[in-house]
Amino acid sequence: MKSSYNSHIKRIVLGLLIFAVVGFVAKMVLTPKSFGKYGPYRADAIDEEANQEIRHMTNASCLSCHPYEANIHLTGLHKTISCEFCHGPYADHVKAGKVYGKLPVKKKEEIKVLCLRCHNKAIQARPGEVIKTVIMPEHLEEQKVKVSHTCDQCHHVHAPLKYINRAKKIVGIKEKS
Amino acid sequence: MDALNFVFPNDLHVHWSMMIVLYPYLTGLVDGSFIVAALYYVFGVKSLKPISRFSLVFAFAFLSCAMFPLLMHLGRPERNHNMMITPSPTSAMSGAGFIFTVAIILIGLILLLVYRPTFVKLRLKSKGIMNILYRVLTMDSTNLSPESLELDRKIIKFLVAIGIPVATVLHGYVGFLFGGVKANPSWSTPLMPVIFLFSACVSGISALVLAYIVIKKLRNQPVDLGCVRTCINILAGFFILAFSFEMLEVFSHSYLRTWYHHAVEGLLNGPLFYSFWVWQVGICSVLPLLLLGWLCLFKMKASVFKFFAATVSIILLLQVLLMRWNVVIGGQLMSKSTRGYTQFHPEWFDKEGIITVIVLMSLPFIVLFMLSKIFPLWLEEEKASS
Amino acid sequence: MGEPEAKLDKERRAFIKKVLNGTIAGSLLLVIPMPMGAATPEVPEQIPGIRGKKWDMFDQRFAFIVDITRCIGCGSCCVADRREFNVPDGYYRTWVERYLKDFDDEVYVDSPHGGFDGYQSPRTDIEVEVRDTFFVPKLCNMCKEPPCVQVCPVGATFKTPDGFVLVDRERCVGCAYCIQACPYSARYLDPVTRTAEKCTWCYHRVRKGLLPACVTVCPTGARKFGDLNDKNSEVYKLLHEHEVLTVLKKDMGTYPALYYKGLRREVV
Repeated sequence: MKSSYNSHIKRIVLGLLIFAVVGFVAKMVLTPKSFGKYGPYRADAIDEEANQEIRHMTNASCLSCHPYEANIHLTGLHKTISCEFCHGPYADHVKAGKVYGKLPVKKKEEIKVLCLRCHNKAIQARPGEVIKTVIMPEHLEEQKVKVSHTCDQCHHVHAPLKYINRAKKIVGIKEKS
Repeated sequence: MDALNFVFPNDLHVHWSMMIVLYPYLTGLVDGSFIVAALYYVFGVKSLKPISRFSLVFAFAFLSCAMFPLLMHLGRPERNHNMMITPSPTSAMSGAGFIFTVAIILIGLILLLVYRPTFVKLRLKSKGIMNILYRVLTMDSTNLSPESLELDRKIIKFLVAIGIPVATVLHGYVGFLFGGVKANPSWSTPLMPVIFLFSACVSGISALVLAYIVIKKLRNQPVDLGCVRTCINILAGFFILAFSFEMLEVFSHSYLRTWYHHAVEGLLNGPLFYSFWVWQVGICSVLPLLLLGWLCLFKMKASVFKFFAATVSIILLLQVLLMRWNVVIGGQLMSKSTRGYTQFHPEWFDKEGIITVIVLMSLPFIVLFMLSKIFPLWLEEEKASS
Repeated sequence: MGEPEAKLDKERRAFIKKVLNGTIAGSLLLVIPMPMGAATPEVPEQIPGIRGKKWDMFDQRFAFIVDITRCIGCGSCCVADRREFNVPDGYYRTWVERYLKDFDDEVYVDSPHGGFDGYQSPRTDIEVEVRDTFFVPKLCNMCKEPPCVQVCPVGATFKTPDGFVLVDRERCVGCAYCIQACPYSARYLDPVTRTAEKCTWCYHRVRKGLLPACVTVCPTGARKFGDLNDKNSEVYKLLHEHEVLTVLKKDMGTYPALYYKGLRREVV
């Protein structure tokens, strides 16, 4: 090919132009459709986030199928505690069919661990108007029961004072204020 | 562990590790060597002629590898093109791809034009694949008329002149990436781009001096002492600026004594005490400053000068690496709780581990070696062979 | 257990079987993405006025208020959050910090496992006498000027017109710049998807009229979430009455939509 004094420059400029055009076309083609609808992002991502699986429901949704527990749970001091915290998420329970949501801890001593997550007085940051706290095993000694007792032997886990109030009623003790 | 030490649970992990140390280091080397080329082609510093072409090839070799650490660092490297397809207008980082593309095209074009007369000669002598390669690299033009060469000279000067702000942006912007993070008190300072820029020049010039002396020694060829002397003088100038700004940053804040100081003080005097004060400042800054002063101001035997020029270059290369380390990894050791420090343990076989660092650091040298087979690095060799 | 109770127990099982068989199909519908505004009969609306109408992207204002005087550090929120999003171990969308202060005003903070296991025992690694102690739950601040959105190079994290800062998992390149930029360290890089993740204030729940999972499970009402367009909501009242509310790291200029009631000066 015959070349003039500036033909290489012309070819370079042509090459750069082609590069720019290809780049521009690639940008147009590869930019997602909903990009820029609300701002410099993909607007469809909002709906994707909104349509994520809901794994936790509410106590109302659990108790609508479990009226017996509802009866106890909603009358006790533990009514603000989420079913799913102890029994696992609703979604898992429903998906697994008849398999029940499992307690994270159960049986014997472990129940203490679960209870003391909230009720341990040794963690001072627990204001009395928010929650009743106890020191273990002092609480057991004070109540004159064996120190090997687990919490749920006296306190119903869904309504902590259920048995205690009933016992008091039977024996006729009036609540000391 | 100290009972007072509290790190936010998500701050235990150092997210930007050695790859992000390496990236500014590589672009810094590009910047510094480009400055040398600019001094020759734009500002007419004639004594730099022996390394003028080498500095361009060197810059190109390192620039072509500069993006690999970033790709290794990304969680989803296969999506890296998103940076250029949907760049966010508010992000400092979204410019990365564009600035890099402009820089590599620019240095590539400068190289092609600088080497065109050489390539035309080589094309006539070569056969087969090399002949095709040289045909492509000369844009299939064999015109070497004085008119054509004069046009090339003007365009080269123009491109290198544009290259100076591009190189400044390429690296100053890396500094800005850190300087713009207000959440991290040890990063968020407007001085960050300046510090990065000057230390980049220091590392690049040091690398050139070292490579020049070592390659010439290996090939048993004479070293142009005037050229090295000029380099060392420029190096001294840039290093004084770099070191002054690094110290200005630390001392002005320790004098202002705002919360910024109280947050960073514990970091510099605690986990970073050895790597910052002892190594970066003491051994790798004060010592080379004294050596550079001696090299610039006193007369000595050529062999002594060459030896200490190479030594100073090695120390300064280490200084800049340490500075990157202390900024990037050091800055992340401090939790945003400002109540404690996490730890960083480099892994050997991690995706961003030591092996990767070694591979990525040797890559530019392999590229440089391959390029040297296409681009004759030294003018005198070319004269001897023709 | 007494005689009548055992009988009841039996009845209960039979009842559950019946109920489960009958409603399982209906319940499943709940977990399948529902069309916007669809009513879910089993689950009463927790945020009034969201269901049954089109979601107006430009007319929503929500606020999150954490009342640290009511937080007992049980970690229910952390458990619910981890389960709701299947968050991998060692990464935190939300966490609870424990602050201790001794008589020399020295502050000791810890958050083992982000408070996921609750705080079941006092700290054993300090021997000073504790004068004061409190818990501080942390989550995304949903800044009005989010630094994470500013720095994201690809527009993968963004602020929606309805005020939520979300992450687009399909575009995120995993550069972790947003993690560096967040002054609250509320973000992390998910080890599975290798993209940035963060608390969304349970956007998927809010859009369906449910409260965020952590708010739902909080037994003491320390976490409150609500609609500021609803003048009867608790958050509206708290924000417009004489309560002392503060935000975290005000000097960062991020203008969080997460407010703290009773926040102490030691907290960062």
